[in-house]
Amino acid sequence: MTLVNAASERASDALHVRARAFVAAFEAGVAMPESFDALACDLARFQATQVEGFARLCRARGVDVSLIDRAHHVPAVPTDAFKLTRVATFAHESSVVTFRTSGTTVGARGAHSMRTTLTYDAGALAFGRWALARDLRTRPAVIVVGPSPNEACDSSLTHMIALFACALGRLAPAGDTYFIEAGELRVDALCARIAGLDPFVPALVLGTSFGFVHLLDALRARAHTPSLALPKGSRIMQTGGFKGRSREVDADALRRELAELFAVSVSAIVSEYGMTELSSQFYDAQPAPGVFVEPPWARVVPVDPETLAPVGSGEIGIARIEDLLNVDSALAVLAADRVRRVDGGFELLGRATGAAPRGCSIAIDEILSE
Amino acid sequence: MTPHTRRSAADRTDAVRALLEAARTVVRHRSRWADAIARTTGLSREGVELGFTRHLETDVTEAELDALVAAAGDASVVHVVLSANVFTAPLRAIALARAAAPLVVVRPSRRDPVLARALAEVSRDPAITIVDELDVAAISTGEIHVYGRDETIALLRTRARAGVVVRGHGAGMGVAIVSPSADLALAAEALASDVVAFDQRGCLSPRIVIAVGDDPRAAELSRALHEALLAIAERVPRGVLTPDERAEGARWVDAVTFAGFAFRAADHVVGFVPRVAPIVAPTGRHVHVCAASTESAARAYLAPFARWIVAVGSDDPEWASDLAPPHARVSALGAMQRPPLDGPVDRRSPSPSRASL
Repeated sequence: MTLVNAASERASDALHVRARAFVAAFEAGVAMPESFDALACDLARFQATQVEGFARLCRARGVDVSLIDRAHHVPAVPTDAFKLTRVATFAHESSVVTFRTSGTTVGARGAHSMRTTLTYDAGALAFGRWALARDLRTRPAVIVVGPSPNEACDSSLTHMIALFACALGRLAPAGDTYFIEAGELRVDALCARIAGLDPFVPALVLGTSFGFVHLLDALRARAHTPSLALPKGSRIMQTGGFKGRSREVDADALRRELAELFAVSVSAIVSEYGMTELSSQFYDAQPAPGVFVEPPWARVVPVDPETLAPVGSGEIGIARIEDLLNVDSALAVLAADRVRRVDGGFELLGRATGAAPRGCSIAIDEILSE
Repeated sequence: MTPHTRRSAADRTDAVRALLEAARTVVRHRSRWADAIARTTGLSREGVELGFTRHLETDVTEAELDALVAAAGDASVVHVVLSANVFTAPLRAIALARAAAPLVVVRPSRRDPVLARALAEVSRDPAITIVDELDVAAISTGEIHVYGRDETIALLRTRARAGVVVRGHGAGMGVAIVSPSADLALAAEALASDVVAFDQRGCLSPRIVIAVGDDPRAAELSRALHEALLAIAERVPRGVLTPDERAEGARWVDAVTFAGFAFRAADHVVGFVPRVAPIVAPTGRHVHVCAASTESAARAYLAPFARWIVAVGSDDPEWASDLAPPHARVSALGAMQRPPLDGPVDRRSPSPSRASL
């Protein structure tokens, strides 16, 4: 390791400690150890010294990170940049994991490398526990309508779900936990697992929207639909879009169908919003479905898509996400999703559709929807 | 194909010739329509002038006319739906329809109806009718030619009656491939003229440039293209982009700035990202340049986009033909936006479907 690398790793380590202090304070229910802006600006300064592309972006936007004192001054890195280049403060050989976007049929997949998962894991677990299991008096049985980490080792979602299974749930063999194998949903095994659940132990069912749609479709195709009623107090977490992997279902309709299928109330279904380029996640807070809540270490700011300035209160903008846990990548990420601030959080209003064509040139979103 | 009419090839050719004569008249008196076109398209006045004088296909050889008539098919009536296109496109669309049928009904683009109406007015061809609305479900015979997004075409297919042929002409894009032996300054100059036409909103407009060779060579091409676009912008400034176009451009510029280099100017941005497959640049004079170390690397870069690539331009078209998707029109750089009037501009042409069969 060079002296420069050693110094940057020490700087990174110190920032990770400060980021995890936010998580610890949240878990302890005490005040945050410092202001969001202070850590955000220090992260931006660190990233500008380590990531040539970010320094270039700052110069192009006329931002001197040595002078800023507010997180919203930090230029946001578009998610497209993660497809085009490595967004990391450290050398490739120091990566312990690289998560990749699910991608489409077109072009490169985005990648997010980490030199440690300690901070990611701490944040995911703390906020996941708060959103999914804070009122459970016993460890739930975890059922994943998705693949195991062995099958999808580059998926941040799978990594997070595996973390939840281990840290929040009861110990169970992988075969009794993960129900998508080699791309196939093991419907019979899933039905048998649910039928065998202890009725006095709640279950936590975690899955992607398209995984749940496949399950609903598979069950509908059967002459007799088995009961998948979950024990009292059970929770369901659904996440992600469809991206051509199943038929698309309206979010509210899917929520109702899942409530019916698993015999739980609609309020027991929690949506998660996250992305590979981030280290933090957001959950729609009950009892206000559709309103996503941020942890104290992340902010979602709707911005004007052209000027990237925050939009007025209650207006729709593109999601600029400031994530204090993105220590070694990008403090601020510009997503392609439309959001609006509301009381208590933000609403997710779908992907920005891009520019409507004024000629016969193909629209970018038409390509990306493939 | 079952003949629907008894029109001779000569009749069809004459009908197209008359339309072309009308187009030439429109060009001669273009000042009458130019302001309206500038307003509807967002092009600068100079951009409209360029479209009229360089890209409207009024100079057609006999062989091209024959090819157009042969490609047009045969129908009792053709209904043309122009939903999204460059402003010169109605000429080819109506010419194809007129070659195919003794009756043509045109529903111009709502946003940009000017040239379709001008051609109909000047041609005084009683076989051509312009309508404001077209109820596709009420059409009981003939063909419907739809120009627009894939989803628009799919929607009209679902609405069309059984037995009515729907020919869809979807959106697409152009790609330029620069050979290892190209003179970069010349290639950039020619390429710039392809980018500038219609402010890059055409399905032939190049949005990705693949320079076969190493990264420094692609960077040199990027700079040369930037300079060529600067020079052209003095004569043909970019028009007005919509807020959505500006937003898409801003996002792409930030991404390429982070990942590589963005050569920015008021009227264009050329982005160069080393060592990585390209992403599609937005319209409005944004060009993504990348280097492909070998021809097979260039093929791999093209593969994910192949179904949308309508045109490939190159300094060496013969060499590029081996790399281009089979359906793409291959031309010299500088001629990408000037395809001969020999049939549909888009040769991907999915086989016509009979709706609801």
